[in-house]
Amino acid sequence: MPKPIIEVDRCKGCELCINACPEDVLAMSSEINAKGYFYPSVVHPDDCTGCRYCLLVCPDTAIQIENKGKVTTPPEALTGKTFSYCPGCTHGVIHRLVAETIDSLGIRDRTVGIAPVGCSVLAYEFFNCDMQEASHGRAMAVATGIKRGRPDLMVFTYQGDGDLASIGMAETIHAANRGEKITVIFVNNAIYGMTGGQMAPTTMPGQVATTCPTGRDVNLAGWPIRVVELLKTLRTPAYLARVAVHDPKNILNAKKAIRKAFKYQLDGTCFSLVEVLSTCPTNWGYQPHESCEWVEENMVPYYPLGEVKVPEEVPVQVGS
Amino acid sequence: MAKKLMKGCEAIGEAAIHAGCRLFFGYPITPQNEIPEYMSARLPQVGGMFVQAESEVAASNMLYGASGAGCRVFTSSSSPGISLMMEGVSYMAGAELPVVIVNIMRGGPGLGGILPSQSDYFQATKGGGHGDYRVLVLAPSTVQEAADLVIDAFDLADKYRNPVMVVGDGLIGQMMEPVEFKKTIKPEELAEKPWATTGCAGRERNVINSLYLDPEQLEKHNWDLYAKYQSMAAEVRHEDYNTEGGCDVLIVAYGTVARIAKTAIDQAREKGLKIGLFRPITLYPYPAEALAKAALGAKAVLVAELSTGQMVEDVRAIVAGRRPVAFHGRVGGMVMGPDDLVAEAEKLVAVPA
Amino acid sequence: MYSEIVLAGFGGQGVLLIGKLMAYAGMKAGHEVTWLPSYGPEMRGGTCNCTVVLSDKPIGSPISKRPHALIVLNLPSLDKFEDTVRPGGIIVVNTSLINRLPRRTDVTVVPVPANEIALELGNARAANMVALGAFIAASGLVDRANVGEVLKESFAARPKLVAINEEALRRGFEIGQAHTTAVAAG
Repeated sequence: MPKPIIEVDRCKGCELCINACPEDVLAMSSEINAKGYFYPSVVHPDDCTGCRYCLLVCPDTAIQIENKGKVTTPPEALTGKTFSYCPGCTHGVIHRLVAETIDSLGIRDRTVGIAPVGCSVLAYEFFNCDMQEASHGRAMAVATGIKRGRPDLMVFTYQGDGDLASIGMAETIHAANRGEKITVIFVNNAIYGMTGGQMAPTTMPGQVATTCPTGRDVNLAGWPIRVVELLKTLRTPAYLARVAVHDPKNILNAKKAIRKAFKYQLDGTCFSLVEVLSTCPTNWGYQPHESCEWVEENMVPYYPLGEVKVPEEVPVQVGS
Repeated sequence: MAKKLMKGCEAIGEAAIHAGCRLFFGYPITPQNEIPEYMSARLPQVGGMFVQAESEVAASNMLYGASGAGCRVFTSSSSPGISLMMEGVSYMAGAELPVVIVNIMRGGPGLGGILPSQSDYFQATKGGGHGDYRVLVLAPSTVQEAADLVIDAFDLADKYRNPVMVVGDGLIGQMMEPVEFKKTIKPEELAEKPWATTGCAGRERNVINSLYLDPEQLEKHNWDLYAKYQSMAAEVRHEDYNTEGGCDVLIVAYGTVARIAKTAIDQAREKGLKIGLFRPITLYPYPAEALAKAALGAKAVLVAELSTGQMVEDVRAIVAGRRPVAFHGRVGGMVMGPDDLVAEAEKLVAVPA
Repeated sequence: MYSEIVLAGFGGQGVLLIGKLMAYAGMKAGHEVTWLPSYGPEMRGGTCNCTVVLSDKPIGSPISKRPHALIVLNLPSLDKFEDTVRPGGIIVVNTSLINRLPRRTDVTVVPVPANEIALELGNARAANMVALGAFIAASGLVDRANVGEVLKESFAARPKLVAINEEALRRGFEIGQAHTTAVAAG
């Protein structure tokens, strides 16, 4: 019989796993863990089907699945250090997807990641490969330097919306336009997280942030920037996709797109960028599961999901 | 006006409004986010305009444009963001544009940390960007003084047609203290700026520019700027504390560290050690004459900074070997306590000069 | 009068708020005051603290390494700050979430089941106010009427919360009265 194994002290009590489980296998315990959070416990083990939804949605890699004597393991491309993200923030899910991709392509020992400035500023603590920390907005310039100097390396940047689409927009457009053979993971959560909830270039119309306290006014701040559509207008071939991670189905799609993005780099085909719609329960002021609903209801209609551009000239094989 | 309990950052924002400023361009960075947040809420209430720029580089050039068009304008940032603004600051110095810039300093270099620091003293007082220029630098040590100096900064910027920088640290920015706003200037009361690009109806056209391709002209411009910077010496300000009749040790410190020194002075008094404090309020121009006088009234000088030693270089140049000058610094966001300063002072008097 | 007070707990327990109320009430009483929060990158659930200084003369350092008084709402805060309190000082301990008493014998300890009382009153979030009430009674540093006044002002936007917070303050005050001590020192 399959069953989830909870690594209690990694848990931040976001309850996303409980919401994700279709069989109500999990429930919150009344005990607190070493971090001071309530954590889930397995209350109906016999109902577990091994669907892995709990593992997929857990932002803290706190859940593994045991099935037929085998236990899943966290990706080797993660250091195992506890993420610095708030409870329920889906940054951790995106980290895991990137790390799983690196593992599955067998490229960990020749990958260099670039961490940005923003909530994921500490990404260099979490990705278990060579990493460089860039100044705010300049990750793709740093990546360009690495890739041009060492084309044999696999280079990815991991950037948020302020970093990539505000202060770093010039670097973004020009790295894409030069067709740098790098992979960009763009985390769009419609807010500045680390600095405490200021308006981002991707903040939704009417959405309240600390520098638009009455809601984003599109007459003053413009409309939210759709980055992948913007980059699509460039003539240079690229792989551009937008995905989300607010439920298991979307997480599986996101993984496919991230894998494709790395594969295009591996084959030397083109620049690749995957925009991932993410949550910010802390600054949005919602519970984690409400934040996931907010993505579906408010962000997805404005930021449509799917592949926006694929390099037509050169077909690419995508495995599995 | 009744006193209000305000955070330093909020008081700085409110002070700018009291100075008649209705324009803010900036970009989020910790630990000064409360300034843009405050301005985004307050400016629309008073008919002003807040713009969150796409970067500090852009913000500094928005300042250039607004100032060139004759507006009172200001921004705030913290060390890494101030470095990015240095492009605009150099151009504003070159084009002689008044602007007020607040730097809530944090530890560096690079991203450094977000805790209090005074490690941008060199950048602030020696120019900061490229070219041969200076900005007037004010260093408050209380929330009240931050509010007062921000209001004065706008007048000084207009008076000298020059950028003015107000430097604080995360303690000044995050701390709450009672504050009152001592004057209120309405934007319509501000003097006309005949050099500004406001449309040339009825006058010769104005050009805002820092490009001088003719070396003779640029040299003249450089020396004219130099003369202006020399004339700013009239603005020096400082505070003497517990220095009447001389002292055993004179601590030289500004901003937050000067407050810690004041507590140290009280502690030392109980031990029979007389410590005085010389607190520069203008870091550029530096109150050199007053410092020399205060230093000669002490047996030894102790410079205390949240850096590995920046202002101490200026102090040593001014004291010029006439008294021993020691240094105590904490960095990285670490802050010395009053007892640390007392212990350093005790060491100085224990060793014959 | 000169007194440094450190208030500490989890983020969300409202220690910054009761620190502000204390500073604000001190200002109303004509004292010099400073309120200084610890600050760091955003992260829910971390520990947070603030320092309030109340004085009759201008305040030098707003930082306190040796406070006269400590209010702790969770265990990590007691572990971290217990030893810093000056002899003769006061420690208010939220016994609802802290399963030990301070080891110090040279300070006045005021145990307050803050969360239990707040829950009894119907709002667990008022625990901070219970602790504040206990502190002002035990220390005599700030006037209770002033605190009540600033409490009303700070909850002006949410008037429904005033009554419960006032009641929490009162319940804490009653407990604190049993431990009256003088912490104001040099």
